[in-house]
Amino acid sequence: MSTSAFNPVISDNPVTPAHTLGAIYYDGLSSRQQAVTLRIAQGQLEVQGDELLRVIPLADVNISAKLGRTPRLLHFKDGGHCEVSNHTDFGVLMQAAGIHEKSLLSTLESNWRYALAATVFTICFVIAAFYWGLPWVAAVAAERVPASVALRIDEHFLDAVDDDLMQPSKLSTKRQQALSKRFDSLRNVQGEVAHKLVYRNSKAIGANAFALPGGTILITDQLVKLAGHDEEILAVLAHELGHVHERHSLRQLLQSSVVGLAMTWYLGDISTLLAAAPTLLLETRYSRNFERRADSYAATMLSANNISPSRLADMLEKLESSHADGDKDMEEQSSSITEFISTHPDTAKRIRALRGKE
Amino acid sequence: MQNQEQRFKFTGNGTEYFGIWMVNLLLSILTLGIYSAWAKVRRMQYFYRNTWLNDASFDYHGTAIAILKGRIIAIVLFASYSIFLQFMPAVGLTIALLIALIMPYLLVISFRFRLYNSSYRGLRFGFTGSIKGAYFAFLALPFFTLLTLYLLAPFTHQRIKAYQHSNSRFGQSAFSFHAGAGGFYMIYLFTLLQLLLIAGLFAFGGYTLARDSIASLSREAIVGIVVAAYFLLILASLLVVPFFMSRIQNLVWNHTQLGEHHFSSTLSARGLAWIIFTNFFLIIFTMGLYKPFADIRIARYRVEHMALLPAGNIEEFIASEQQKIGATGTETAEMFDVDIGF
Repeated sequence: MSTSAFNPVISDNPVTPAHTLGAIYYDGLSSRQQAVTLRIAQGQLEVQGDELLRVIPLADVNISAKLGRTPRLLHFKDGGHCEVSNHTDFGVLMQAAGIHEKSLLSTLESNWRYALAATVFTICFVIAAFYWGLPWVAAVAAERVPASVALRIDEHFLDAVDDDLMQPSKLSTKRQQALSKRFDSLRNVQGEVAHKLVYRNSKAIGANAFALPGGTILITDQLVKLAGHDEEILAVLAHELGHVHERHSLRQLLQSSVVGLAMTWYLGDISTLLAAAPTLLLETRYSRNFERRADSYAATMLSANNISPSRLADMLEKLESSHADGDKDMEEQSSSITEFISTHPDTAKRIRALRGKE
Repeated sequence: MQNQEQRFKFTGNGTEYFGIWMVNLLLSILTLGIYSAWAKVRRMQYFYRNTWLNDASFDYHGTAIAILKGRIIAIVLFASYSIFLQFMPAVGLTIALLIALIMPYLLVISFRFRLYNSSYRGLRFGFTGSIKGAYFAFLALPFFTLLTLYLLAPFTHQRIKAYQHSNSRFGQSAFSFHAGAGGFYMIYLFTLLQLLLIAGLFAFGGYTLARDSIASLSREAIVGIVVAAYFLLILASLLVVPFFMSRIQNLVWNHTQLGEHHFSSTLSARGLAWIIFTNFFLIIFTMGLYKPFADIRIARYRVEHMALLPAGNIEEFIASEQQKIGATGTETAEMFDVDIGF
């Protein structure tokens, strides 16, 4: 039996009905239609047709909940059922029999004011979930991902890009060690952050740095060469450490999976291709916020070590111009990786903010 | 005796369905998706009860609890697969293999659920396909299709439809399926030709651009071209997909019989493309609020292009059904209490 049916509420002293109602009866064994008349008397439903008379206790009748203007259905335990198309007369019959129909769902669905309220509420709810709910859930979930699991993602990422997009670094071991040592010797007033520095040579990607979900910070030879001063490299590394500290890559990974799933669910039956476009746009919003947070983390860390935050601004400027006139095939990066430089229009804003912190 | 064509009618209404859809969506969100099972029952009942044939409507009897159980199973399966694939690919792939192995079984269960819970004139539909047949159609054949680099795809499609349609019944009457693989090969061939034509146009456009001016183009212009190509691709899929869908549905239903009686399906690729195309843009421009209207439009188009062609008089068809008493009992109802909605 249908679970959406409501249980009739029978009042103590039902009014003796004068009302009858035309309906169609099916016995559930054949496809035969029989025109019948319905009557309710003393808690019993009478179904009367030319060759038929059934009297069924109302408690054994499952009355389907109202659903738009579709026929009302009265199901009986033996598989038979009656169809009533006239909603008004059905209501009169029920009322006369002392049965008070309470269908909250149908009231909500059929009244345009409620439908409008539901629409507004749903839209607000979805927007709130996107702006606050999802980032919060992702942040909480990211805290609970074991470090070993997150490190494995880093290994997979490196496996995937090595040989293809990236080659072993051409910097001397001495240079690498010196840079790592200098970065590790920086005082971090914002608490120690477990991380691992790796160097790679990549012509395809050019000057860039990445914070991977497990705390691996990847820096390209091209970025080291582009920097005019080691403090500029340290500034970039501090920015990436900010991403690691707040687990931005992992959160981004979780957020974009949820947004992607929701979009595919909503638009997938029209076009999976189409579902990808809003997903990308929505992700951009999240990543901008992460960049600002990482910038401010780096500014604090640099200032504490007597390095001017404007070193980061200098580096951003250099990177932007290097990417603008350099290779144009840097668009295909994984969205799950928080990257240092991207073609966001707000780089200029970030530069101004960093210079302001001097 | 004359064959009166009995057209299917659809009486669903977009405005009315909007309220149902919105309440479903709201309650599903508020209950973190749990209500979606009840929402599905209401949605299915709305569409079934608004589908008419010869002055009688269809009905849906699925229970929300069964749907909820199925959804939990599906979510657990696919979530564990995607999570493990991220963190431990070996385990993830094992789960994927497991899913592939039990998929035919799950499909049989959901066909049984879907058909058993559909009725017309108080008589239930049913599905009698064997598990063995499902493993052949949904696992063995797709595997061979892969091995033959998809040359077998139309044949596999035909076998899948034959498995579904020839194992369905209404009351005591069995459905049967008579389309050969040839028709499927023709549809696949024409679809492939359209795709090649589109790919050719894209390649030609790209080549022309590359030869003339790509180096001198600004970054913005290149982004513009990429975006334009993306939209063209969507447009193309909006043309090819309706062609494929309408031709397959026509082929399948024009070769399906219920006992002695035939069906006719007269979907046109152009009509379907127009509906899908306009639905698509209206959904975008209304930020998704047009969705319930779009669902109703497409359902109306599909339903109203179907007809039953009774071998004799429609009344006789119904009369013949009347003699087959004891068609369905409720004893089997409890067997299919899980719906994995694919």
